[in-house]
Amino acid sequence: MNDATGSTFDRRRFLSATALGGATVVGATALGAVDPDAAFAAPTPPLDPAVADTSFAEGLITGIEGGTLLHVAGSYGERHRIQLTNATSIWKLHPTTAADIETGDGLYARGLEMPDGTVAADAVWVNIVNLDVTVRGIGKDRLALGYHGGELIGRIVPGRSTASYAGAALTDDLSGLRMGQQALVLGAWRPKDGSVDIARITVGH
Amino acid sequence: MIALLVGGVLGWTGGTKLFGRNTRAQAADTVLERRLGGLPRATVALRAVGAAELLVALVLVALAWPLVTGAAAALAGAGFAAYLGYARATAPDASCGCTARDKAPIGVRAFARAGFVLAGGAVVLADGLAAGGVPAPAGGPWWEALRDRPGAALGLLAAGTALAWLLFGDPDRAVRLPLRRLRLRLFGHPLHGGPGRAGDPAAVPVEGSVELLERSLAWQTVTHVVRSGLREHWDEDGWRFLRYTGLHGTAEGAGRPVSVVFAMDAKAGLDSPRPPVIRVGVVDEETGARVDVAAGAAAGRERPGALLGEGA
Repeated sequence: MNDATGSTFDRRRFLSATALGGATVVGATALGAVDPDAAFAAPTPPLDPAVADTSFAEGLITGIEGGTLLHVAGSYGERHRIQLTNATSIWKLHPTTAADIETGDGLYARGLEMPDGTVAADAVWVNIVNLDVTVRGIGKDRLALGYHGGELIGRIVPGRSTASYAGAALTDDLSGLRMGQQALVLGAWRPKDGSVDIARITVGH
Repeated sequence: MIALLVGGVLGWTGGTKLFGRNTRAQAADTVLERRLGGLPRATVALRAVGAAELLVALVLVALAWPLVTGAAAALAGAGFAAYLGYARATAPDASCGCTARDKAPIGVRAFARAGFVLAGGAVVLADGLAAGGVPAPAGGPWWEALRDRPGAALGLLAAGTALAWLLFGDPDRAVRLPLRRLRLRLFGHPLHGGPGRAGDPAAVPVEGSVELLERSLAWQTVTHVVRSGLREHWDEDGWRFLRYTGLHGTAEGAGRPVSVVFAMDAKAGLDSPRPPVIRVGVVDEETGARVDVAAGAAAGRERPGALLGEGA
């Protein structure tokens, strides 16, 4: 991600120049998809006729073939094959690459179904979870989250974990969290120990 | 006294299973549900177990035949332990359904509860077996113990109740949370506000930029091209760049893979007072040529975005 190799640097410089030389758009709107919450939205048919129908897959990764073909066992017994392309976005707490995906991870994927049944993924969200929790403990690097009568650990990842208070803009200042608050946690589940890396915690929603 | 204690505990757990409104919820996710083939049957089974527990509780408290009542309680405890062992072996992630609030998977506590009932029953049983000169460990029926040695009996009852609360109640919620609150009050909030990662109080997390972008006209203007989620992001000279990939439909029909790059003020967030100024560039992935998606969009349909001229 942050490897400042020469080629990455040159490519980014080129893309930066393109963006800065591009059209300027001023204004805000209430519409638009929210990412990565989009992983949880029902796949709505795109309004644009140029965009072909989108298909959607979720489940646990049972195998990875050649680094880019994921075998996925869905929650309802179905099987998917998900092909990652060089245009696929991969989220695992942050935008990352296919190298970070491991067998045993869960995923949500959105993409186009190919004639052979493989889904060519446009976007993949790995281990993404969206939990309705109660804040039951606040520590330096973790939160104790009451969830379904149990308790799970929400890890605070410096530079990644953000908070939204009562609809305000996202901030990396988590000091507004209070014991007993109801919260929505969007994060990346860690299959190894069952804890959740917090991407966003929303309170006062 | 032991009989009263075990009877009280069994009466409580049995009563909540038999008469409780959320027996159904309690039966959900237990191994009973999986074995008996459905929640309704599991609920009936759980209520039957509750009725049996209540019966054992009643005879424990009311009857002075320690041989019978002790054996019944010990049998109940052994039965719970066997059920737990079976459930743990066949469905390790199932909840035990033992008490009303506990939805945790079967663990040490669940076995300790069964052990508590088993041991209590065994003590009562031993009381019945103790003949002649051998002292009865439970000291006869509880009402006699209460009458003869009220101090010792009440002390035993209090200690036993505390143990039962630890095992069957929710001591975690009752003790751990106040301790955590106290620690926060004493030592303050461990998560500090103030300067962000880079020591800049005005820094906006990338997610904040994405949030702003997705509510912007710039996003709406090119959203028909974007197919992926955020691919990468980088900051340069006070700008924040967000790259997505997409498909740009051409007149020939086949979509060409493109990179869509947005550039915005790295310190702009949803709460910024002015509307965001966002620049958009679309680049053909293969040729590296700039693509004018607005022109393509103008042919045939209107885009909501207001394109305010080209940048420098």
